[in-house]
Amino acid sequence: MLIRGRSALFLILPAGILFAVFMLYPLVRGIQLSFTNAIGPAGGTFVGFANYIAMVTDPTVIRALENTLVYTVLVVVVQNAVALLLAYWLFQLKRVRNIVRASLLLPAMMAFVAVGYLWSFIYSPLGGPLDLVMDALGLHGLEKIWLGDPQTALLSIAFVYIWMYTGYATTIYLANYLAISPSLLEAAQLDGARGWTRFRTIDWRLLAPSLTINITLSVIGSLRVFDLPFIMTQGGPDNSTQTLSLDIYNNSFTNFQFAYGTAVAVALLILTVIVGVTQATILRRREVDL
Amino acid sequence: MTTFPLHTATVSRRSARTRQRVSGLTASVLLLAFAALTLLPIYIMIVASLKTGTDSETNPFGLPLHPQWQNYVNAFQSMHYLQSVGNTLIITLATAIVTIFTASLAAWAIVRYARRWTRTAYQVFVAGLTIPVFVVITPLYQVLQQLHLLDSYLGIVLAYSALTLPFAVFFFAGFLRTVPPELEEAAAVDGCGILRTYWHIVLPLLRPATATLTIFIILQVWNDLILPLILLSTKQTVTLSVYATIGTHSFSTAQLLPTLVLGVVPLFIVFLALQRHVVAGISVGAGK
Repeated sequence: MLIRGRSALFLILPAGILFAVFMLYPLVRGIQLSFTNAIGPAGGTFVGFANYIAMVTDPTVIRALENTLVYTVLVVVVQNAVALLLAYWLFQLKRVRNIVRASLLLPAMMAFVAVGYLWSFIYSPLGGPLDLVMDALGLHGLEKIWLGDPQTALLSIAFVYIWMYTGYATTIYLANYLAISPSLLEAAQLDGARGWTRFRTIDWRLLAPSLTINITLSVIGSLRVFDLPFIMTQGGPDNSTQTLSLDIYNNSFTNFQFAYGTAVAVALLILTVIVGVTQATILRRREVDL
Repeated sequence: MTTFPLHTATVSRRSARTRQRVSGLTASVLLLAFAALTLLPIYIMIVASLKTGTDSETNPFGLPLHPQWQNYVNAFQSMHYLQSVGNTLIITLATAIVTIFTASLAAWAIVRYARRWTRTAYQVFVAGLTIPVFVVITPLYQVLQQLHLLDSYLGIVLAYSALTLPFAVFFFAGFLRTVPPELEEAAAVDGCGILRTYWHIVLPLLRPATATLTIFIILQVWNDLILPLILLSTKQTVTLSVYATIGTHSFSTAQLLPTLVLGVVPLFIVFLALQRHVVAGISVGAGK
């Protein structure tokens, strides 16, 4: 035995201190803060569950919760469906695999801030490239003020997130495909399983590990969505792109309602944990069943 | 009579193969077109960044006939580009170093000294993965204020290190579990102490995991807005300088697009240079 009790403690200590001081302590302080009426950095007094009670009837928070959930479902479903399809093709088409994967991954290397500004320009009703393309295709009638219309603003932002991360999800599915033993798929092919039948009966099961990873990543990522609406719409128009993280930021750092903002953040943490645990349980049970 | 069915079988098999090849070709072309469509916004960003504002509004797609290099000179200056890149490099590298050393030491102890308390320590670290940064950001601001670490490299590096630590411990522990402990035990038999074993055996062993992790830390720190926005005031990172330059006011494309290009190009270069590692890093857990 190389590592003894005391040396184990000594090895874990640096990470432990770092984590305790800059993560756990702020977390505990944050939960405490959410039970006060603090405005700005000054202490505030204990008010019990007042912030949480106020939150339940706060129309902005309710709207933000709805938007965050709609956005999450939309991103998770569309991104994973498209990524699965792309990975299925890329797995079979060896010659274009690397170039296509690299192209699809490039947007994921960009900062949300840069992506948000770029797409604000693309969606712009004043000479934005998207409307120019639609004009050229004779689709002028379908044009909208993409980010200025409550009907389309959230969809437009979700589309940008999907644009950014579909390549990322595809890369994960493709890696899973490449790890499947080739003889397994060849056997399926010989048994006459092709196309959709093979995908549904065989690939879909073998892709369980990457499905778990991808769903987890996209759920956690989209529940936290902040930068894109922050840059592109500031939550507007008419709160149609207000999200929980954006509302937390506005409460805490625009209005300096530190306590209330942090209470909403704790609610987001609880939501994340509930969704995360539920989905991990379902997906893991599914992996075992298969 | 017997040759007839055989003959059709060959023909139909051959035509099936041709059909497969044709559909493979169609699929390849479709995929390439999809890739090109994905790259189109980035292409527009680059070509239109060299045009005058009116030019890019009438035709953002064509190559710039009269490249406006002045756009870049302006963006370079208003972003304080070199300074911002320097700041970001310092913060990113320092975060990577702190996270990699603290996380690998901890993960090593957790994996090789399996007791109930080390298992609990591991679970506490990994639970950190679910904490959204907004829950801790306000108290974190207050903690750094009390330690007089606001607007300092040290403060933001420690904050980023704590934030990236959960994933790093998780990642290193997962990697170490696949490595048998024989080498380390042999070193111990040879009289190597704990820290020498770590330095000469464990750290080199972890090199592939470290490379992947470094890429993730670079991506996360370089592209983050919220921590520099709240914890820094006189220092700028590249991403913060993109935000500070453009802000929320309306902008001309001649000002906007070169700023964006300068903001994202460093990571594009990293990606093109280390593409294999990036792909391998993203694929961890899904591949073999």
